[in-house]
Amino acid sequence: MVGLSEGEKHFIRGGIAQDIRTDGRKRLQFRALSVETGVIPQANGSARVRLGATEIIASVKAELGKPSILHPDKGKVSIFVDCSPTAEPTFEGRGSEELSTELAVALQRCLLGGKSGAGAAIDLSSLIVVDGKVCWDLYIDGLVVSSDGNLLDALAAAIKVALSDTGIPKVNVSLSAANDEEPEVDVSDEEFLQFDTSSVPVIITLTKVGRHYIVDATSEEESQMSSAVSVSVNRHGQICGLTKRGGAGLDPSVIFDMISVAKHVSQQFIGVLDSEIAAAEAEADE
Amino acid sequence: MRDLNLSLNQTQRVRLEAALHELQSLVPAAASAAAVTVADTIPVNQEDNILKYISLSQENTIKEDTISLFVCADGLVWCRGHGTSDQDGEVVATLCGVVERVNKLVYVRTLRARYKPEVGDIIVGRVIERRRTAVDELNMRSIFVENDVICVSTILALSVEVDNCFIFCFSDFKSVFAYVVVLTHADTLRVINHQAEVRGFQHDGSLHLQARSEKYGKVHASSATLPVTFNVQFPTSLDITGYATVPLYHYQSVPFYASNLAFMNCKNVLLQLERGQLLTVPPYLVKRKKQHFHHLAQYDVDLILGCNGFIWVGEHVLVGENVKTTEDQQKYEADNFTPLETRKHICRLANAIRVLSALGFTLTVELIIETAEASVSSNVEVNDMLGAEFYVQTAEREAKRRAALLRKKNGGR
Repeated sequence: MVGLSEGEKHFIRGGIAQDIRTDGRKRLQFRALSVETGVIPQANGSARVRLGATEIIASVKAELGKPSILHPDKGKVSIFVDCSPTAEPTFEGRGSEELSTELAVALQRCLLGGKSGAGAAIDLSSLIVVDGKVCWDLYIDGLVVSSDGNLLDALAAAIKVALSDTGIPKVNVSLSAANDEEPEVDVSDEEFLQFDTSSVPVIITLTKVGRHYIVDATSEEESQMSSAVSVSVNRHGQICGLTKRGGAGLDPSVIFDMISVAKHVSQQFIGVLDSEIAAAEAEADE
Repeated sequence: MRDLNLSLNQTQRVRLEAALHELQSLVPAAASAAAVTVADTIPVNQEDNILKYISLSQENTIKEDTISLFVCADGLVWCRGHGTSDQDGEVVATLCGVVERVNKLVYVRTLRARYKPEVGDIIVGRVIERRRTAVDELNMRSIFVENDVICVSTILALSVEVDNCFIFCFSDFKSVFAYVVVLTHADTLRVINHQAEVRGFQHDGSLHLQARSEKYGKVHASSATLPVTFNVQFPTSLDITGYATVPLYHYQSVPFYASNLAFMNCKNVLLQLERGQLLTVPPYLVKRKKQHFHHLAQYDVDLILGCNGFIWVGEHVLVGENVKTTEDQQKYEADNFTPLETRKHICRLANAIRVLSALGFTLTVELIIETAEASVSSNVEVNDMLGAEFYVQTAEREAKRRAALLRKKNGGR
């Protein structure tokens, strides 16, 4: 981002105040969303999501591993985010570390829930193969290919789509193993279990510019923000996570208002995303 | 400009392909004959040559561009330019494009070439950098290179940080007129408004400016619209990256804030482009025309098509207007937002430009206005202009328009 002149900044602020943003969108309108699944054949599940000019590729890889001692009946999921230098020249080398960790942490909070694994988007108990011995480790990677604002929303959407595209191979455990031995597992190449992603939440980021909030800010609009609140909402309208960025302080009533706006917008977004997923799956089946 | 990612349904895809196919068929066949792709042999006509034998040991490389001499099998000489290489005694294309021949030079001109600035071009640029010159008291923010395009910068910004200021608009004259504004450090700005003609380009990408005459360099200090006195310079030649050859006189430094910039009362006034948006399109879509700076009176909008692919759509700025002072700067905010109607027009035009550039059509004012009007008449919402339906409609409309034009041309003959 080279930077904007005062006049341009003024124009953007004026647009947000008057409800016509630079590309004609209303304050609570998303950009065009396009979804592709199966972009990475070697991964268990992958997706590429384009939200306007922001492009994210997410992939899910599943590997067999040992569950942690504290939670022997749960699998493990870890989320990583990488910002590619193709998005911004400043992302080269270690330039993107801060942003990537911030995004990864925010995603973990919203999608994974607490340490006990409760309330996670993905039911970790479904990842277990043999209690205490073998479980599935899911590695979710998000790659920011092109960045034009609203990375968090796009990442969450990409992860949701990737999860819906994920197939965990069926595992046959040989029952004859003794109790303290490593059981033999036979990973089938044929059958896959699909994830149920209806409970995966999406993240809606509300960016406050002046006195109004906008949804799906472009990077120009984000440069004008005073603060941003990212709310993760699931299909039932429940809040799964909340992150606030930006230096300006917000009145609590404003936060509540933003949360309710986010809930309202999220239902629409989930609807759009689901129909896109269905369309992508239909195409994949063809 | 990034492409619009559109999900077209089946009918839309069919319609789009039909429209694009029609557009392609309208292109005269002769043009495609000169087109080559990589590894095509370029026919080098031996008879056109004046015989000139050069021994193979002499390699002439002219400038830093790779122009090398190619000696044909029978000793005739052709100059091989960009995009060609010789293989087995034949000139072979290394790029996809159109073969151009100029005297004895053969080269391949790509269709999507990078922007090559020429004297007389109108460009729109963003100031991003300052360069210090040998004239120490003055930090000249003069020429900078943005995105490898030579842009001449001008005005500047705030009293404290002269940072990203905006664009500049050149006049529609044959030469690129530039305002070179010279700044010093934070609180005191000395402004030199200086009109210069581009005399040429230097190797490191900077422009060589030359002031035309006394008349142009002088500022009417007595004019009421100028709150600042100027430091006037009459160089006969001002090499921006080098040194100013002329004594400075008439000089006064005044605390000055950028919003106080005044405009000279003459034709080539520089406009500080304020409220609006800057769009980036591929530079090959903007052809050089007579007029690049359009004031669309019916919308009260300025549309400036820069040859470097930067397009400015914004509120109309009056020439010679006295810009607000700092006290007004606070009022700059809420009260002064662009009126809604103007903003809608700006957004419509901007979206029209986005759609047209995504389709790859050459941008002309008429086409942009026509697209914007069509969106109004078909009741397309402003942001829906970036949707699939309007995209396909625009392609169809353009195909029809060009077909009609061709028919008229052919019928008229």
